[in-house]
Amino acid sequence: MVQYVPVDRTFSALADPTRRAVLERLGRGSATLTELAEPFGISVTGMKKHVRVLEEAELVATEKVGRVRRCTLGRRRLEDVEEWIGTYRRMLDERLDRFEEVLERQKGVPQ
Amino acid sequence: MTEQQQARKATVTTPSDWEIHIEREFDAPRDLVFATFTDPALIPEWWDPTTVVDEMVVRPGGSSRFVILGEDGTEETAFRGTYREIAPPERLVQTFEWEGLPGHVHVETARGSARFSSSTASRTATVSSAPGWRRA
Repeated sequence: MVQYVPVDRTFSALADPTRRAVLERLGRGSATLTELAEPFGISVTGMKKHVRVLEEAELVATEKVGRVRRCTLGRRRLEDVEEWIGTYRRMLDERLDRFEEVLERQKGVPQ
Repeated sequence: MTEQQQARKATVTTPSDWEIHIEREFDAPRDLVFATFTDPALIPEWWDPTTVVDEMVVRPGGSSRFVILGEDGTEETAFRGTYREIAPPERLVQTFEWEGLPGHVHVETARGSARFSSSTASRTATVSSAPGWRRA
C-alpha cells in the first residue's frame, strides 16, 4: 500500500506566491517579520499571518528575540512533498514496467 | 540499478501548469505497442494489479470504465472515460475521470512515434490528495 504523508498543510502553505517567496528569502538566511514584510509592501500584521501558516506546516520556525520575532526555515523543508510525489512516480514506473513485460510477451503472439 | 534499467524509466516533464508529459521508449514495433495499449484483456495485467475492465469500447465515442478493487475484493474506486480519437499506431486520445472527483476530466493523448509517449492535460490542474487516489 502507498504510505501517505501529511502533505495537505504543506500544499496549502505553498499555495500562495508571497509565502513561497518568503521561503525563498529565508533560504538565504533568517529575517525578522519587519524585514520580510518590507519588500512585499505588506504590513507586519499581514506578514505575521503568512508566517503563521508556514509555521503550522513546519516550513518555518520563529523565535522571539527581545522585541522582534526572527524567522528561519523550519525542520520539515519539503521532504514530505518530495516523498508524496515520489510515490506517484514509482507507481508510474511500475505500471510502465508491467506494460513492457506484457509487450515482450505479446511479441510471440500472432497478431 | 544498472545503466540499462535507468535508461528505461519514463521521462516526466510539465510543459505547462496543466500538462504532464510522460515519455518512455519500448523496444517493440509501434503496431504492437498500440495493440497492447488498447487490448481490454491485457489492461488488468499492467494498468493496476487489481483492475477489472468493466467497459472498454475502443472506437471514437466509445466508453471505458476501469474498476479498482480493494483488499476485500469489492470496488474501491473507479475511473471512466471516452475515446475521442483512435488512429493506430500513431495517436490515441482518451479522457479519464476519477469517479471520486466528478467533473475533473483529464485528456490523455498517446502518441506512437519512434517513441511512444503519453501526455495528460487537465483543465482544472488540480492535484488532490483526497483518499481514493490510494491504490494497492
